[in-house]
Amino acid sequence: MVPFGPLAFMPGKLVHTNEVTVLLGDNWFSKCSAKQAVELVEHRKKHVRKALDDLQKVMMNFESRAEFTEDLQRMSDAASDFVDIREEIEDDSIGTKGKYRTAHKPHSKPKVSNVFEVDFPVNGNDTKSVGHFQSEEELWARLEELERQETLLGELDRMPGTVETNGEDASSSEEEKEDKRTDLNGTYRAEDSLTQGNFHKQVTNSDLFGGQLNGSTYYHSDDEDDIDVGDNSVPTIFFSHTVEPKRVRINTGKNTTLKFSEKKEEAKRKRKNSSGNGHATPELPNIKTPADIYRVFVDVVNGEYVPRKSILKSRSRENSVCSDTSENSAAEFDDRRGVQRSISYDEATQSDNSEGVLEEEEEEEGQQQPPKKLPPSSGTAEAFSGTVIEKEPLSPSLIPHPVIAHPVLPTILEWKSDEVLSEASEEPPKRISKFKAARMQQPT
Amino acid sequence: MAEQIQKKLQGELEKYQQLQKDLSRAVAARQKLEAQLTENNIVKEELELLDATNTIFKLMGPVLVKQEMEEAKGTVGKRLEYITGEIKRYEQQMQELERRSEQQRETLGRLQQELQRGQGKG
Repeated sequence: MVPFGPLAFMPGKLVHTNEVTVLLGDNWFSKCSAKQAVELVEHRKKHVRKALDDLQKVMMNFESRAEFTEDLQRMSDAASDFVDIREEIEDDSIGTKGKYRTAHKPHSKPKVSNVFEVDFPVNGNDTKSVGHFQSEEELWARLEELERQETLLGELDRMPGTVETNGEDASSSEEEKEDKRTDLNGTYRAEDSLTQGNFHKQVTNSDLFGGQLNGSTYYHSDDEDDIDVGDNSVPTIFFSHTVEPKRVRINTGKNTTLKFSEKKEEAKRKRKNSSGNGHATPELPNIKTPADIYRVFVDVVNGEYVPRKSILKSRSRENSVCSDTSENSAAEFDDRRGVQRSISYDEATQSDNSEGVLEEEEEEEGQQQPPKKLPPSSGTAEAFSGTVIEKEPLSPSLIPHPVIAHPVLPTILEWKSDEVLSEASEEPPKRISKFKAARMQQPT
Repeated sequence: MAEQIQKKLQGELEKYQQLQKDLSRAVAARQKLEAQLTENNIVKEELELLDATNTIFKLMGPVLVKQEMEEAKGTVGKRLEYITGEIKRYEQQMQELERRSEQQRETLGRLQQELQRGQGKG
């Protein structure tokens, strides 16, 4: 008796009990054995499981997004303000700090710098303002320049510094401007911690605003403090790719000004030390006397600090378009040259690249920074270890800038760039004084 | 003046609503097609699993019609292609509808502003 519906049975036989008609989907059926039917069912189950897993993944994605948002909210609730992680290129939206223009006393350099740094509308001043070191005269000149500029500050707030920079560049001969720029660079860096390209802009702005000399690095710390205060204690994390090199123009003699990239190195070191913590306040060297300069700007040789040789005593002047350098011992020359070259390169690039190549330059300098440590570490006796390679393309174009009276200088400079290109290993053979070579060429 | 604007606003609003309806219809159709696509894919795979020993039927209305294996496979494949084509068509339609509804939204916004201005004046 076989079931005939739910309520009845019928006498009969069940045949082909192994045959089942399976729905394949979409109105398709197939008669198959039970085993095949099982296979089909398994296959379908697999398919469904896969769909389920995919949906699970989607759900997890959404959940993580929601969680992230919740965390963000929690963080912002916990802190009084948001935690800004900024890596801005343009500083349009940077909120101005409270103290826009604290009165600055022209003759109190440290304070001035503080004021100006605060002025800058920077989100969370990155307290990386590298100590701008400038000679006293430069500081004063800078102060005056800045004061002049302060009057322009009103409209110029946040103006893209290009205009200023251009103006600055036009009068590039002025050390002050350079100083300012460098100062601003440092300042801006602290303020903006923007990428290098942006930094350029910042620099100009800082020129406008930050005329204040930030020679004393310790002021920077003050500034930083101020900035922090002015920042409304908004925890801000600033990203900055490279350290804006501070350029200090120093009159090294005839018609040439070397730009110290000391600050840059300093800043770079500081950056490196404080890498990652945007808010870290790099310890700024307290420079109050010229002697402090030498104390601060030291080369790291073999892990120790070796005071850097004065550029006035170095052969760098030969390299830097300064005219007569008397007898140069090869070693000495190279030694100085190496150091100077790095410096002059930095400076040269700095000055020339003020316009638009800053980004490049900054990159280069940024790149240079790490490699720059190599020359000092390699010993003062070694020539430049090719760290300037990045600058290399720029240097030839830049070098002519300061060079005026030396027909041979381009050659030297080129050679310098060549040297730069060459790896350290090549340097020993090139120890022959460049200047000698130039002199030899001169007669010819 | 304000009434004119209001009337225009009404008209635009209706158009916008119509567009929205069309959009939702297209979306629903596309979803259906997606389901059919998945199903047909499964059928295709299961047909691969089967061999020639068993018969395949197709349900057409109340009738189960016997089919050959190759015939069935061919039919399913064609259906798959048809479905994918339909989905693409609906996609395009949806994009077009979205674009138009966006325009409508702009128009509506403008009209609303005008209305507010007119009411403000009056």
